[in-house]
Amino acid sequence: MLRFRNPRMPSERDSKAMCFRLCGSVALWLGGVAVAAITASPAAAQTEFMLRGFGDIGSTTFTAKKSFDAVLGSDSGLVFGGGVEAVLPQRVFVNVRASRFRGVGQRVFLFNGEQFDLGIPATITVTPVELTGGYRFDVGWRVVPYGGAGLGWHRYEEISRFANADENIDERFTGYHIVGGAEFRLARWIAAAAEAQWATVHDALGGDSNSVSHEFNESDLGGVTFRLKVVIGR
Amino acid sequence: MKVSRATGALGITCLATSIWIATAAAQDDSLLPQVRAWLADITAPPIDRGIRDLDAPRPPRHEGAIQVAGDGTNGEPFIRGSIIVKFRPGTTPDAQRAMLAQVDGSTTRPLSDASFDIVSIDAAADPETAARRLDAQPDVEYAQARYRVYPAFVPNDPLYARQWNYPAIDMERAWDINQGAAPSVIVAVLDTGVAFRSGLMRFNARAVGGLPALGLVSVPFAAAPDLGGADRFVAPRDFIWDDVNPVDLDGHGTHVSGIIGQLTNNGVGVAGMAFNVRIMPVKVIASDWDFIFNSPLQGTDDVVARGIRYAVNNGAQVLNISIGRTGAAAPVVQEAVAYAVSRGAFVAAAAGNDFESGNRVERLAEFAPQIDGMVAVGATGRDRRRAFYSNTGSYVELVAPGGNSRVGGTEGAILQQTFDFDLVETYLNGPARYQPPRFDSFAYEFLQGTSMATPHVAGFAALLMQQGITSPAAIEAVMKRYATDLGPAGRDNEYGYGLINPRASLRGLGLAK
Repeated sequence: MLRFRNPRMPSERDSKAMCFRLCGSVALWLGGVAVAAITASPAAAQTEFMLRGFGDIGSTTFTAKKSFDAVLGSDSGLVFGGGVEAVLPQRVFVNVRASRFRGVGQRVFLFNGEQFDLGIPATITVTPVELTGGYRFDVGWRVVPYGGAGLGWHRYEEISRFANADENIDERFTGYHIVGGAEFRLARWIAAAAEAQWATVHDALGGDSNSVSHEFNESDLGGVTFRLKVVIGR
Repeated sequence: MKVSRATGALGITCLATSIWIATAAAQDDSLLPQVRAWLADITAPPIDRGIRDLDAPRPPRHEGAIQVAGDGTNGEPFIRGSIIVKFRPGTTPDAQRAMLAQVDGSTTRPLSDASFDIVSIDAAADPETAARRLDAQPDVEYAQARYRVYPAFVPNDPLYARQWNYPAIDMERAWDINQGAAPSVIVAVLDTGVAFRSGLMRFNARAVGGLPALGLVSVPFAAAPDLGGADRFVAPRDFIWDDVNPVDLDGHGTHVSGIIGQLTNNGVGVAGMAFNVRIMPVKVIASDWDFIFNSPLQGTDDVVARGIRYAVNNGAQVLNISIGRTGAAAPVVQEAVAYAVSRGAFVAAAAGNDFESGNRVERLAEFAPQIDGMVAVGATGRDRRRAFYSNTGSYVELVAPGGNSRVGGTEGAILQQTFDFDLVETYLNGPARYQPPRFDSFAYEFLQGTSMATPHVAGFAALLMQQGITSPAAIEAVMKRYATDLGPAGRDNEYGYGLINPRASLRGLGLAK
């Protein structure tokens, strides 16, 4: 697709540079976590109820790749989140997590495979609140793998300059997700985890004919997220 | 004696020759020398003859045929006679009265939902000065004039309120998004020329029809004041006189240029669609005065085709063709338009004014559906219905305001600045009052026709181009996609895809809405 960029808006190169910086930070963090995991004591066998809090940072690649790329210049972006988690003695866990993705791009016009950027700022905000249940595996090592699935309520906001109130969007959709990861105990009250999640939110996009998601026939607001978590609590 | 006899004979011969030339010239144009000389650049200001809103409606032009009430604001952004004041908590009524006495002010009755007071002051006093005086008082939290707030960009041009055509296509909100494009966008006006420079020109006015020859005449010109200075115009070219002075001898091209790019929000006259673009005047058709002055060429297909190629070869990105003809097809013009589009230029062409004269096919617009990047434009009135004269047919792709004097009378047409026609069309006054024209006297005139609709589309294209849609085909596509469907649902032969909708087009697509 040809892309005619408006010079007033940040370029795709800027987005890629930011992505490289993020990847560098993530690599450094992973290195640190690995060192900590090696030097830390093995995870104790769980015998009690645990209530923990966590915060996370990650990157989501949206299923509606073309649509997000057209408007935001990238099909992925940073996601910040946090929540609380209860782990039962039977190694079952339940957590509630809220997160937020925000991207600023611009409105476009598509014609015959060409994209024309119009220089009108558009801010996309996705705020999921997710309920996840799962199981933590005891592999007898300092790493605790886990997996789960759940239900999410996704708030989608799209605000663009010069829009009337009814031309902006603030809607909520329900979706589903599966998640898997591994947790490393760093200290008695602190753990780190790396996690991957796949989510689907059907029929959230593409309903309005005046949208790139309609043009690309993309309707799913979900995506794949890789994130790093810091867990406070036992 | 011989010398004096010879001198006398020579004088008689010269006199006889002059009489013979004058007589013959009146009968044979070929013997009359063509005269077109730029005598001087003059700096005298153009004459402003105001708005011509009492004139009878001017009919739309057909083939062969060769108007202020203010808006009550006095041009000020605030209301006189009162200001807004907020006193600090605890200020006693006596202290308030003492402060207000400094500006001869007094509070009006308490307002609901307000933490401030409205203070009456002398209607003749400057509200900003009064507000500044109060604002300097220690017990005043703030004081300000009562500035008017507008829902959108509304030009302050005093005659804007008479320009129904812009609100009709939601231009005020479109201007919020894109205020008049930019000088980097060049719009070529292929027309009767444009009033783009001041000066004095000499012509030889031959006898035409029942009108006598005026002989050598000096004709004053002035640049249309509401079109801007010399830097507003780029690469002017006259294909009728084959020079670089495409001055308008008619007023049509100047009016059309005004719709495209009349200076806007300058507190003068009227507004235009894309008021920051630069205009390329390309004269490709001859007016009545060009004919009287015996121009070497007239507006024929070949001249128009050359004008189109000239415009794109000299940087025009948008071409406005508010001219046309019926008759046989015009492949030479079609080829030129295809060339223009291939060079990245968008072309807007008038769909024609012949509906009540047989609705003959407008040959310079009929091929528009075959060229992605060219649009044939029909006209609507202020009632958003097809104007009585506007051609219908499969080639009509879009409609725009062109005016309809049958709906709203004279003011149902399109108001822009052009010449005062009383001083141009002197040939309509009969031989007794026939005199050389003046092209330095301007008025705000109401004109109607697809000629007036087309520059709305050309100006719209300039906005889109500056907004980032650089492909002519994409410009046509976005115009059609967002057009407001009129008449039967979907495309039809009266309205094409509908009435242009600049605001929606400029906004384009969001991710989900």
